Amino acid sequence: MSGAAGPDGGAGGRWVELKPAVWETVVRACDCCGQVVPKRLWVVDIAGSERRFCGTECESLYRSYVLPRLAR
Amino acid sequence: MSSAATPGGAGGPGVPTAIDPVTLGIVNNGFVNVCREMGITMIRTAFSPIFNEGLDFSCVLFDRHGNMIGQAEFCPAQIAASLFIVRWTLEELGIESFEPGDVVLHNDPYRGGAHIPEHSVIRPVFHEGELFGFVANVGHLAEIGGKAVGSFAADATEVFQEGLRIPPVKIVKRDVNDMELWRLIMANHRTPRNTWGDLNAQIGSLRVAERRVIEMVDRYGRDFLEQAANELMDYSERWMRAEISAIPDGVYEFTERMEDDGVSDQPVTFHVTVNVRGDELIVDWTGTDPQVRGPINATYGVTAGATYNAVFHVTDHHIPKNSGAYRPIRIIAPPGSAVNVQYPGPSVGGNTETHPKLADMVIAALAPALPGRVSAAEGGTCCNFLFGGIHPKTGEYYANYHLEGCGWGAKSYDDGNDAIIIKNGNCRNTPVEIFETRYPLRVKEYSLIPDSGGAGAMRGGLGTRRIMRVQDGVEITVNALLDRTKPGFGAFGLEGGGQGGSAAIKVKRAGDTEFRTFTEAFGTVSASKFTNVVLRGGDEVLIESPGGGGYGDAYARDPERLARDVFEGFVSAGQAQALYGAAVTT
Ligand SMILES: [Zn+2]
Repeated sequence: MSGAAGPDGGAGGRWVELKPAVWETVVRACDCCGQVVPKRLWVVDIAGSERRFCGTECESLYRSYVLPRLAR
Repeated sequence: MSSAATPGGAGGPGVPTAIDPVTLGIVNNGFVNVCREMGITMIRTAFSPIFNEGLDFSCVLFDRHGNMIGQAEFCPAQIAASLFIVRWTLEELGIESFEPGDVVLHNDPYRGGAHIPEHSVIRPVFHEGELFGFVANVGHLAEIGGKAVGSFAADATEVFQEGLRIPPVKIVKRDVNDMELWRLIMANHRTPRNTWGDLNAQIGSLRVAERRVIEMVDRYGRDFLEQAANELMDYSERWMRAEISAIPDGVYEFTERMEDDGVSDQPVTFHVTVNVRGDELIVDWTGTDPQVRGPINATYGVTAGATYNAVFHVTDHHIPKNSGAYRPIRIIAPPGSAVNVQYPGPSVGGNTETHPKLADMVIAALAPALPGRVSAAEGGTCCNFLFGGIHPKTGEYYANYHLEGCGWGAKSYDDGNDAIIIKNGNCRNTPVEIFETRYPLRVKEYSLIPDSGGAGAMRGGLGTRRIMRVQDGVEITVNALLDRTKPGFGAFGLEGGGQGGSAAIKVKRAGDTEFRTFTEAFGTVSASKFTNVVLRGGDEVLIESPGGGGYGDAYARDPERLARDVFEGFVSAGQAQALYGAAVTT
C-alpha cells in the first residue's frame, strides 16, 4: 500500500495490509502498545530496524515515550 | 449553548455543546437503557445460573465505526474487552461484510477477548437499509470443552486445552442460523443443551436491542442521533481529561506478585508504571514477567480492562462511559509477557486472578497522588470452582462454574466490603437455594471468616467460608483456580494497613476427620490450581475466600468501630488485642 510521511519528524512509513492464509490463525501485535493489528500494519524504519505499529499514533508514542525509556 | 450539567448525571466540565445538555442526557440514557434491556432479556431467557443468577455477561452498543456509545452496569472487564473485540472484528471482517440479520460469534482470546469462555455476539443495526451501528453481548459460557469440565483448566499450558476457540465467524446469516457451525460447536462442548440455550439468549438480547435502537433512530432521526453520540463521546473525553489533569504530573510505580501459575510453584511478578502527563495517562506494564506456562496470563483485553477499571475507580463515576472516556488513557502491554499472552499461551485465569491484581496495582500506584480516592487491595481471586458429571436426576452431563465473593480493600474513609465478587465484574453470589436445586451438592456452611479483613484504621472486608458435601451415590469431577493461598501473598494494605487473610481450598474425604489440601489428598502440583479431581458421595470441599487489605494504622481505629467488630464477630478479641492494641470484650 502507499507510504506516508511519519509523524514527529519520522523518516516516513507505509501501510501494509495483512492477508493471512487460512492456516494462519493468529493476528500479530503492535511493537509499541501490544494491541492486535487485525488488518493493516504501519511499518516504519527506526534506527535501522523495522518496527510494526497499529497506527501512526503508536509510532509517535514509541518515539516520544518508549525510545527515551529504553535509552535510560 | 453552555453545558454545565452532565448529560444524565451530576455536574461535569462546563464546555459548550451544540446539542442542549438535557437532550444529550436523554439520548445518553436511551443508549444506556438499550443495554439494560438487553441484560434483562438475558437474565430471563438464559439457561445457566452463571447468567440468570451470576450475571457474568455484558451488553454494549456501538456506532457504525466501532466506537462504544452505550453501556450499563455490567462487568467492567467484559465491557472494556468489547471495545477491542468489536473494533478489531469490524476491521478483520470488514464493515461491508455485515448484512441485516447477521450475528458474528467470537471467543478468541488473542483477538481482544478476556478469556476463552467469554463468547461475544455482534449484530449490525440497519435503519431503512443503512448501517447505524452494532449491538454486542459478551457472556461467559459455563462449559466450552477442553481438558477440564467447566473449561477452566488451571494447569493448562496451551489454549487448545482450554476449550473450543472460535475466531470471528457468522453464526447467523440474515436471520438464519448456520446450523453446520452450530453442530460443530455442539459437538465440542460437554453441555450442548446449555450452550444452545445460553448462546440463543445472547443472540435474542441483540434482537431486542436492535428494535430499541431502530425506535430511537425513528424518534430522533439518524443525523441527530449520530451527532448526539459524537458529542457524548467528546464530552466524556473532555471530562476524563479534566479528571486526569487534576492528578499531579509524575511517574508512579507499583509491583505485585501472584503465588504461582498452576503449572510451577514459582511466583509471578507484575509491574506497572503510571505516567501522568497533563491530561493523558500512559500506563506501562513493562517490567512484568514474561508469559508463564500456566493459565494466569492476561490477554491484552484483560490488561486494558484492568487499567480502565482502575482509572474509573479513581475518577468521577458520573462520566458517561463511552469510547470518549477511554481516549486519554494509553496502555503499553508488552506482547509475550504475563500481561499480553501470545499464541498458544493459556489465559483462562488471567481474567479472574490477574485482572483484579492489575487494577489494584494501578490504584495503589496512584495512592501518593490521590490518597482520598484509592483503596487497599481486594481478595483478588474469584475462587473459581468448577464441577460436573452425570446428573443423578436427569442422566445428562451437567457442569457448573461457581464463584465466591471475597473481602474488598479498605478505603481512607470506610471499611472494605465483605463477600463481594472481584472488581473485574458486577457478578453476584449464587444463592444456596439455586445451587442446591440445580446440582448434587449440599451447602453445610456459608459464613464470613472472622479476622480475615486486613487490620487498619479502616478494616479490610471479610472473606467467606463455604463447605459443600457431595450427595451420597454421586461422583463429580472438580477443578479449581484460586490465588492468595500461600503466606505472604495476601491482599496488600495501604498507608500502614495490614494484609487480608488467605484463601484456601481443601477436601475432607468421606471417613476422614479433617480437611486437607488437594496436594495432600490427591498429589496436585498446586494446592490452589488443579483439574480433574474425582470426588464421591460424602466427600466435602471447603472454600475460603481471602479478605481485603486494611488502610491506615490499626492502632488509630475508632474504638467504637472496633468494639462493634468484636461484638459482631468480625474481629476476635485476640486479634483486637494483638493487632489493634485494644482490650475489647463482648
Ligand atoms: Zn499500538
